[in-house]
Amino acid sequence: VVGHALHHREDVVTEGDFQDAVLGNAPDSADGYFVVPKVIE
Amino acid sequence: MSELLTGLSLAEARAKLGAREVSAQELTDAHIDAIKSASALNAFVVETADRARADAARSDERLAKGEGGILEGIPIAIKDLFCTEGIASTAGSHILKGFRPPYESTITASMWQEGAVMLGKTNMDEFAMGSSNETSYYGSVLNPWRQTGNNRDLVPGGSSGGSAAAVAAELCLGATGTDTGGSIRQPAAFTGIVGVKPTYGRCSRWGVVAFASSLDQAGPMTRTVQDSAIMLRAMAGHDQKDSTCVDVAVPDYEAALERSVKGLRIGIPAEYRVDGMPQDISDLWDQGITWLEEAGAEVVQVSLPHTKYALPAYYIVASAEASSNLARYDGVRYGLRDDRDDLTEMYEATRASGFGAEVKRRVLMGTYVLSAGYYDAYYLQAQKVRTLIADDFRKAWDSVDALLTPTTPGAAFGLGEKSDDPIAMYLNDVLTVPANMAGLPAISVPAGLSSQGLPLGLQIIGRAFDEETVFQLGRALERAAAFDRRPTPWWRDRA
Repeated sequence: VVGHALHHREDVVTEGDFQDAVLGNAPDSADGYFVVPKVIE
Repeated sequence: MSELLTGLSLAEARAKLGAREVSAQELTDAHIDAIKSASALNAFVVETADRARADAARSDERLAKGEGGILEGIPIAIKDLFCTEGIASTAGSHILKGFRPPYESTITASMWQEGAVMLGKTNMDEFAMGSSNETSYYGSVLNPWRQTGNNRDLVPGGSSGGSAAAVAAELCLGATGTDTGGSIRQPAAFTGIVGVKPTYGRCSRWGVVAFASSLDQAGPMTRTVQDSAIMLRAMAGHDQKDSTCVDVAVPDYEAALERSVKGLRIGIPAEYRVDGMPQDISDLWDQGITWLEEAGAEVVQVSLPHTKYALPAYYIVASAEASSNLARYDGVRYGLRDDRDDLTEMYEATRASGFGAEVKRRVLMGTYVLSAGYYDAYYLQAQKVRTLIADDFRKAWDSVDALLTPTTPGAAFGLGEKSDDPIAMYLNDVLTVPANMAGLPAISVPAGLSSQGLPLGLQIIGRAFDEETVFQLGRALERAAAFDRRPTPWWRDRA
């Protein structure tokens, strides 16, 4: 918007490995996954 | 005693804390009491009194050792659009019911680092979409101000209406806001306080719930220009987590405040004299011109010819980005879920019950302007208009250093008065939207009262990353206007 070029950074993982925090707010989760209604008959 | 403490400016409180004339805990308790007695305003959606007391105790320890950051011991309120770790963050929406972020937004993290005390989260229009704070799932906020001799409830403006009301009613020494099309400046004008929208890229957007990513920018809301200068310094700065947050040094804004405005060239854009502008607004604008001339600035008439296209183009760009950003609310990863046996039905039911009417309207508009057959006609066209608007400003900077305009085309209006007419509501933003489209910094300074006794604001728009001149001129207006009126605290009787 104001004419600045975006920064580049190395293509490396910066953070991660906090499954509990990611799933903590989910309405439903099990075995480390988000749970949704069945989609395959 | 406690009213004396809540009536201090942030700068005065900082001086008293530094001199140990008052403790952070006394200051914080005074504000917690004030919030309790102001529930009628509905300015807060979450109050964090225990957290505030713990913050204050920590600040007192640091201050006793002669240490402390920029905001050490200063009680602050946070707009509910900011993610705060472990504390409910709803963006004024039902769809984020129960969401407790596992992380802290960069801006709030920086403020806590600088010693700020967190009083709570302030009410706002749902996903910051609104100009009256009437679209919040948690109910409307009331403006602390009333017309002379009239007890009718008025809106505080929006979308940062809870923050504006909290600052105006002396429930906090400052509050964070966000401004996508005027959401800091318009409520600041409606409640007689100072609000600053920094340059796009000055403050990190990481951890701030997204509305329109190319327009959103957070900023301070306070009772004086100096207070905003202090607060912005603690909020601004480069952040690797937001690729659009620019890596430029954050100046000491306070140092710019008392610089003379002698010799500065101030543009008066002819196109901002919109049809039907009330006499008191246009008189105040003329008064502002005189004030700056008397302070030694040179006033120049300028033209920003594409101004009239800014508002329609804004509502296309903002809605398009919103429809895209809000696609994430699907009932799977966080927030509300309206359970159904079928996945698609679950998505539909969740979004139907989770979003309010105004949010749905904008998601629909945004999806429409981005749809295959209409993309070129609407979205692409709006992007081109946006470039023309930014070019208008660029040309103006050849002859002037900043622009002076009113902040809003009118004073605060009554609750429900415009809620049935979206276009009338959108017109509130007509004077603030162009600065967002061009990414420019702007301030609203309370400058006088309307014929009905309500506060009115004047706006200064500056060059990109030249917040210093914006603060300098804002301070000159504040000094000349000597606006020291406060609303009568009627809300205490309603607690």
